Amino acid sequence: MATHEHVRNVLLLAALAVVLAVLPPALSVYLKSFVMFTMMYVVLALSWNIISGFTGYTSFGHVAFYGIGAYTCAVLVADHGWHWISTLVVAAALAVVVAVAIGYPVLRLKGPYFAIAMLGTAEGTRVVVTVWDSLTHGGLGISFPSVENSLETYYAMLVVMLMTILVAYIVGHSRFGIRLNAIREDEGAAEVLGINATAYKLAAFALSAMFPAVAGGIQAYKVLYIDPPSVFFVQITIAMALMSMLGGKGTVIGPVVGAVLLYSAQELTWVNFPTAHLIAYGLFIIVIARFMPRGLIGFAIDRGWVRKGMVH
Amino acid sequence: MGPVTAADIALDIRDLRKAFGGVRAVDGCTLAFPRGKISGLIGPNGSGKTTTFNLLTGVAMPDSGQIFYKGEDLAGMKPYQVFRRGITRTFQVTRVFREMTVLENMLCVTALNVSERVARARAYELIDFVSLTRLRGEYAGRLSYGQQKLLEFARALMTDPEVILLDEPAAGVNRTLLQDLLAHIHGLQERGKTIVIVEHDMNVIMNHCARIFVMDYGVKIAEGPPAEIQKDERVIEAYFGRRRG
Repeated sequence: MATHEHVRNVLLLAALAVVLAVLPPALSVYLKSFVMFTMMYVVLALSWNIISGFTGYTSFGHVAFYGIGAYTCAVLVADHGWHWISTLVVAAALAVVVAVAIGYPVLRLKGPYFAIAMLGTAEGTRVVVTVWDSLTHGGLGISFPSVENSLETYYAMLVVMLMTILVAYIVGHSRFGIRLNAIREDEGAAEVLGINATAYKLAAFALSAMFPAVAGGIQAYKVLYIDPPSVFFVQITIAMALMSMLGGKGTVIGPVVGAVLLYSAQELTWVNFPTAHLIAYGLFIIVIARFMPRGLIGFAIDRGWVRKGMVH
Repeated sequence: MGPVTAADIALDIRDLRKAFGGVRAVDGCTLAFPRGKISGLIGPNGSGKTTTFNLLTGVAMPDSGQIFYKGEDLAGMKPYQVFRRGITRTFQVTRVFREMTVLENMLCVTALNVSERVARARAYELIDFVSLTRLRGEYAGRLSYGQQKLLEFARALMTDPEVILLDEPAAGVNRTLLQDLLAHIHGLQERGKTIVIVEHDMNVIMNHCARIFVMDYGVKIAEGPPAEIQKDERVIEAYFGRRRG
């Protein structure tokens, strides 16, 4: 991609940042929270996309990192009196450590075996958090001291979203990213061509675990109460996957588009039809798989509206 | 002191063995591929040629035996470690990265310490070299089979390797394209590269290789220049069977 296109894209991102930064005074409490959660889903979908879209290892357990982040924040704030912002750094670090420890054995599995192993990882983490009473208060969950925090969590999520987009953009337009693509396309051939697949997969996995943990921490502080079922909710993983797929996994912009569209659609329907979004999720999966296997962006690429490849 | 590596031997393979269950695919094979020459590796189907390539490039782990390259034993190394020592290969059935563009297929091979600018220049040069310039931005999966062969060949050259192993480069490639490919291969040989070709097309082998190695049932049964190999009784027997009296 030519330099002027990078400059244009960075300027677009900066413009988005400015708009989202000046927006809150104009928003109702509800809308502020709506925008914040949309940004959170952008973080989650983009992160999932690094390991599952770029690298081709479909994770059905990414909510584990989100939950770990949420609990890190909750335990440190509620039980140890930390400032909530500083817990986010610990959450990110812990997610990276867990990702490397789990990834080392689990990333040897491919396709559905990896997906199932990740599902098991997320469920296993939920069980550990539930039974580890002394640290996590088990099934009772953790309440934060009640404060008005909608503005600070909004800005924190904005910063994390911008960081995630920037990281995804850099990965997506670098040879590091192309190498992840090569592993996705044919891991054996990639290794024969000098790519240390194990190291690359671990790096991608760690990167994809870090931001969801931070988002989980912010979200926990925002809602002021968490318990294991709510932060290790399998539907959060499904949302990450679906948003990436809808927008176009393996691209940078796809998961952003997917997250905004799907979260908006869900928010619009659930007020009037509480379970409609679940039906919509199911329909989306079928429609995407049948008509747009490479998502909206892939659909646009095939018609020549958007350029192919990431580094042109 | 390590093993004696004669200056004119690039890859020195000793008593290499690999069994898959009860099938001894490579069964004590000893081969010495000459440096800076084009060698041919032939043999009937299932004689262990591709397995030998897989063992050489770390794709499969040998049960025993050594593979000496520049005084170092490559046996048991991982594929990327072998590659970083200057040995590269293509595959019998092409393995291009289908959902990546031609340019991306090339760029992912470069070492990250090579600057982006240098890597791109090299990629453009090689894409021109195999006449795929027009298709640089196309998905590799949309190329014809012959074009994919060319891409795979060009991709293998991104890091300017010393040893190039080609697994059936002629299969599925039309005659015109094949002549181009062979010209490229000779060009590389003239620049001092060591090339080993596994091929069933005897015209390619007999007309383009300096030395031919023949395998059957996982062992080398003959070796020599083309004229000798064509007359070798053991080779004829391996391909056509023994006359029954």
